[in-house]
Amino acid sequence: MWSYAFRRLLWMIPTFLGILVINFAVLRMQGLSLTDTIASGMGKGDGERKAESASQAIETWLGRFHRTGNDLPALINLRGFTTSDGVRGRLLAAERGPQVDEAQRSRAELEDLWLQGPLLVEPLLAVLKDDGAARLHGPASMALSLCAYRPLLPEDAYLLAPAEQDRIRVRNERLKQLRIAYRNDREQGFITADPEAARKRDALIALLHADAFEFSRSSRRWSAIVSETGFVDFAHRLFTGRLYSETRKALAFDVIAERWSVTAWLNLLSILIAWAVSIPLGVWSARRAGSFADRAVTGLLFSLWSIPSFFVATVLLHHFCTQDASGAAWFPNRGLSSPDSLWLSTPAYLADLAWHAALPLFCLTYGSFTSLSRYLRANVQEQLASDYVRSARAKGVSEDVVVWNHATRNSMVTMITLGAGLLAELFGGFVFVEYVFSIPGLGMLTLEAAKQMDAPLMMAATVVSVGLLLVGILIADLLYAVADPRIRSRYV
Amino acid sequence: MSEASPAQRALAAAWRHSWFRLGCAMLGLFVLLAVYAPFLANEAAIVWWDAGGISLPVIADLFNRNTFGKQHELLFNLFALLLPVYVLLWRMLPGRTIGRRISVCALILLACWAVVQVPLLPRPSGGYQALWAERPTTQRTSTTVHRDAGAARWCLLAPIPHRWDATYPSAVLKPPGWTNPSTGARTWLGTDPAGHDVMARMLFGSRISLTIGFIATGIALLIGTFIGAISGFAGGWIDLVLQRLVEIMMCFPTFLLILAVVAMTGRDIFVITLVIGLTSWAGIARLVRGEFLAQSVRDYVTAGRSLGLSSGRLMFMHVLPNTMAPLLITATFGIAGAILGESGLSFLGLGDPRVASWGQLLNHGRENPAFAWLIYAPGFAIFVLVLALNAVGEGLRQAFDPKAAP
Repeated sequence: MWSYAFRRLLWMIPTFLGILVINFAVLRMQGLSLTDTIASGMGKGDGERKAESASQAIETWLGRFHRTGNDLPALINLRGFTTSDGVRGRLLAAERGPQVDEAQRSRAELEDLWLQGPLLVEPLLAVLKDDGAARLHGPASMALSLCAYRPLLPEDAYLLAPAEQDRIRVRNERLKQLRIAYRNDREQGFITADPEAARKRDALIALLHADAFEFSRSSRRWSAIVSETGFVDFAHRLFTGRLYSETRKALAFDVIAERWSVTAWLNLLSILIAWAVSIPLGVWSARRAGSFADRAVTGLLFSLWSIPSFFVATVLLHHFCTQDASGAAWFPNRGLSSPDSLWLSTPAYLADLAWHAALPLFCLTYGSFTSLSRYLRANVQEQLASDYVRSARAKGVSEDVVVWNHATRNSMVTMITLGAGLLAELFGGFVFVEYVFSIPGLGMLTLEAAKQMDAPLMMAATVVSVGLLLVGILIADLLYAVADPRIRSRYV
Repeated sequence: MSEASPAQRALAAAWRHSWFRLGCAMLGLFVLLAVYAPFLANEAAIVWWDAGGISLPVIADLFNRNTFGKQHELLFNLFALLLPVYVLLWRMLPGRTIGRRISVCALILLACWAVVQVPLLPRPSGGYQALWAERPTTQRTSTTVHRDAGAARWCLLAPIPHRWDATYPSAVLKPPGWTNPSTGARTWLGTDPAGHDVMARMLFGSRISLTIGFIATGIALLIGTFIGAISGFAGGWIDLVLQRLVEIMMCFPTFLLILAVVAMTGRDIFVITLVIGLTSWAGIARLVRGEFLAQSVRDYVTAGRSLGLSSGRLMFMHVLPNTMAPLLITATFGIAGAILGESGLSFLGLGDPRVASWGQLLNHGRENPAFAWLIYAPGFAIFVLVLALNAVGEGLRQAFDPKAAP
């Protein structure tokens, strides 16, 4: 039994990883390109002013890209292997010298260099230290100050000590001050325009040596191939709970913590109600198989199955939750509790809850009556025709005992399997019901996040949904093993 | 021909079920309404006879700039013209079985569609804009008809003389039966908050639903059959890996995934179709794998192997036709699911705002609960279409496997 449970649990690991990969792929689908952002941010001005406005744009956007892992390559990061010669070549390629044909010059080279992150600090520093490449010191310092920049993200307010935050802020400010001003001239190429260039250069080198690459990590070039990629960054953020929702100004899991229990309870109740209705219904139909009542119920359930739940929810909202002239409605039209429910006694509170949850629960469950009860009907019918039922009847066992204790009990295995499948269906369905009845659950949260393009929140909500779903499937698997002795005996 | 394919036998058996026939009839009605929607709801007159002779403005309207921007509309419009030809020449079409003839019809339709694309190809003088720019979008609109009705000797207007995408002045949320002053015609189902005729949008919404249903399921069938066939036939570690993939897709609340992708990449009808197709193949793959496992121990496969047939030929030419009946059943339910997915997405306000969708109308009904026609008309249409598809699927299932529930 336990080895069976453990086995099932182990199989869930690759499933969960696969779901993470899909989530990450969706996250990368946002058409964000930092180079485009900078290009739009540096439309006006030239030289120093242009670079200044671009660096402003980067500082605002770096945080956003950093948060979604979009500043890193998706799966393999080879930036650690960039040599100082490579960096020099890219700097030269961005130069607007007279010898360079305007059409051939790669406009994005320099901007790309700014975004490469800490792994490029070391080769850039080598260019800066080289006395022979004086005209490259300006752009190199610019790239260096941005690559070594550590954006202070909103979630850092939760995660870092105030003293540490201050230290990073001071260092960032210092990096900004130590940029050597330069011009990218059409006639002469790079021109250092800063009178204090030499002092700034020494100070920059000293600063980056002083914090011993604490923020640059360039010694980790081998491990960075895998560890500093978008996917690992995303997974790390997810598992350490650092996904930050920009629209809510809070950590995504804090937002979800307020919401998930509503959805979990509604789902649990829905499955229980679905079983509580379908099992008697299925057995009732099986005992009358072929009669007019059975066929009528089958036809009715079949039609019910085809009605979309969002239609039913809207119709119910329209007819039973709209206030009439006197301001009274049969059922409340939003939320799961009245505004003053906190002051109610426990029975009154539960009654209030039931009053609010009745229509949403109906919308969530009615669709599953059909599949569950019809499968049970077919299964019980099959059992009733089998030999052991005939011998039980011949023994003189009463018909009720035969149907309920023998036939139905043997059909329960199917019901449990179907219950697990039902769970996956429910997780899609609750979005509609929560949307129509304004229930503050996970589905509503996912929908709001999707509408606001809040990717981290959406991903966190999806992952929590999948987690709940996997727990549900695991429970169904365990129940399956409890109900069916053959499964237990296979994994002793 | 005495030799009927398994799918054909299942179809013939299913035809004996009243549910199946009812479903087919309803489905056929929906297809006809979708195909001939421009003839039912259009500002352009169907026949116009004046001093210049007799013209058919609606035919010109079928191929204007608007339709070329929306390829599914173009496909339906071509089908509207080809359908009478198919019906008249049905006996002359090549192919002996119904399935073959339907495939031939589909191929002809696709060929016509490709030919019509030619003006869209990039041309030195600025592409199709140059070709279609002088072309008026509608030739005789009902507005002009009413203005210079005396000019026509005789004309035949569409029963609903409103365009689905036209917003009429002072036509916001009017009840059914309201007369539109700018055309002088009644709106059968009132208007929506943007001032569109709801009936016209309902008719064109059936095009969207059917397109999404069939194309998304087609994509899912392709992927699912391919993965399931390889998984079932190859076995071993390939099977193990592919089964993990299937399990991931089965576990994933697909609707949340669709929601996420659509929110991330934009609310385009083709993206929605593609995503629904790409996320709903897991059930098909599992089914095909099971069928392939069951078939691969049969004698004819062994015989084929010993004759030296290649695995690919054996898989797709011999085993696949034998799994057609269960595939057809799953596909029918899949179409219903895809239609529900798209209308659900539109209902949540994440559909393509540029097309007429039933879910979108239903969402307007939710936002304006005093206007019941905005709830019942689209909701009932979705219900009937889904019911028709489920009835067809159920009929097939009962014919194929009478023991299965419900």
